[in-house]
Amino acid sequence: MPPLREVQAAFLAALLGGPAEPLAAGILGDGLAPEARLDIYRHHVFTTLTAALQATYPVICRLVHEQFFGYAADQYIRAHPPAGPCLFDYGSSFPAFLATFDPCRHLRYLPDVARLEWALNSATHAEESAPLDPMVLSQLPEDDLPGLTLRLDPSLSLLSSPWPIDQIWEVNQPDADSKVVVDMDSGSVYLETRRIGADAVFRALDPATYFFRCALSRGGCLADAAGVALDTDGAFDLSQALWDLFAEQLPVEHAASTSGPQEG
Amino acid sequence: MTGRDAATAGVRAAAGIGLRAPHVQEVITTCPPVAWLEVHAENYLGGGPARQALDQVRRDYPISLHGVGISLGSADDLDARHLLRLAALIQRIDPVLVSEHLSWSVTGGVYLNHLLPLPYTEESLEIVCRHVDQAQVALGRQILVENPSSYLRFEHSPIPEPEFLVELARRTGCGLLCDVNNIYVSAHNLGFDALAYVDALPPKLVREIHLAGHARNDADGLTILIDDHGSRVSPEVWRLYAHAVAHLGPVATLVEWDTDIPALHVLLAEACVADGLLHKARARTPHAAIA
Repeated sequence: MPPLREVQAAFLAALLGGPAEPLAAGILGDGLAPEARLDIYRHHVFTTLTAALQATYPVICRLVHEQFFGYAADQYIRAHPPAGPCLFDYGSSFPAFLATFDPCRHLRYLPDVARLEWALNSATHAEESAPLDPMVLSQLPEDDLPGLTLRLDPSLSLLSSPWPIDQIWEVNQPDADSKVVVDMDSGSVYLETRRIGADAVFRALDPATYFFRCALSRGGCLADAAGVALDTDGAFDLSQALWDLFAEQLPVEHAASTSGPQEG
Repeated sequence: MTGRDAATAGVRAAAGIGLRAPHVQEVITTCPPVAWLEVHAENYLGGGPARQALDQVRRDYPISLHGVGISLGSADDLDARHLLRLAALIQRIDPVLVSEHLSWSVTGGVYLNHLLPLPYTEESLEIVCRHVDQAQVALGRQILVENPSSYLRFEHSPIPEPEFLVELARRTGCGLLCDVNNIYVSAHNLGFDALAYVDALPPKLVREIHLAGHARNDADGLTILIDDHGSRVSPEVWRLYAHAVAHLGPVATLVEWDTDIPALHVLLAEACVADGLLHKARARTPHAAIA
């Protein structure tokens, strides 16, 4: 009998489509081929993980044929099996996988719709965080404001797409109006997803606000984030943007940067 | 006794149900009379509405946390981050029982989210003992270890499963979770005597029993029982359960249902059947009413 570590590595390989030998040689058939017994486990693993992907990506399921989704899920599970114990955490790289999956390359919007679904899934399961009291701003010395960094709501994601993925998502809800037609030439969308109450929701932002919040969420200071927003739209209003941020209860923590805004 | 009263009573030798997502709101709203509830720990390691609902439920019911992701049987080291998250959940929920499985699901950093079989060797026993010790220290409490449902046997697996479990409990101080349906399914699939298996478990080690339905599948002309938790408990498993509680005494018993989940009242009715059999066992052992 090889060491347990080797048995388990061989078991994993066999379940994910590798050769069943030499593992099968160490399994008793008891009236059934050892490979058929391994198939029982393989079937359960793939059924469970496919169901997890279906639960996270219901719109992708509606956009492609059921059998195609099953095929894509099967290929994805073999290439990217879970790296953690929680099923709701599984499938973060499914959008990137779809982007390089030849059989659906012609559906160019598909990976971005999947990214939206992943962002909603992440929002659903994100840790709770208490919003930051806007009074902290008034207590800061004015000189500290440009270097201020804000940690935003952990349920927040920001994503943009050249496709109207918000409309595509909406018309593929179970209760959607089937007469609505998506205008695929309506231009880029800039979306914010987060959890409000118990619900994961998304909404469209104007591009300047989107890039402002992106910069902040990556740890950029207020001055740098404002700079990015002003490059996008010369009419960007920083004080209004800051007001909106707090009104929407997005900041959860702040820090005054000692280094100040980055040059350049 | 209502569920609300039971919340302060600890886990009794009474029937509980596995709480699954489709029933959570109904349980919160109607507070049905069931002695305790069990949830899968890994479904509550994030934040958000799921965990908030669990916070609500635990005010009304004793909760048992049933883990599926520690992978006690992995040759690799346990995932310390996962244990920390579980410990935080335990702190938050204050469960009456915490349990895991005699199986493995992780190797080389890959998680297969399934309870995979172990060869029962001295090497495996040492590994599982080490991991149970580590888990009990990290979680700050005793865990119960459940017998798996099995579909294959390793050629070299010299220790009988019940003996392996009893030795594990002796060396680590863990308790046992006796899944009666798993014994029935494994006994059929691997050809051992289910009654003898139950009789080999010392009553003092078994702190919880699981019951569930199984499916019958045809595999190349051979009937294989699949532990799918997708139907009522079969009459054969009820008979084995009656035998188990006659031998073990009345033990907190859980009815699980995970696929094709029925209306809540169907699950509660199954729990009532278990309660009836527990009542009979209690009548035979009047001093063993508290598990």
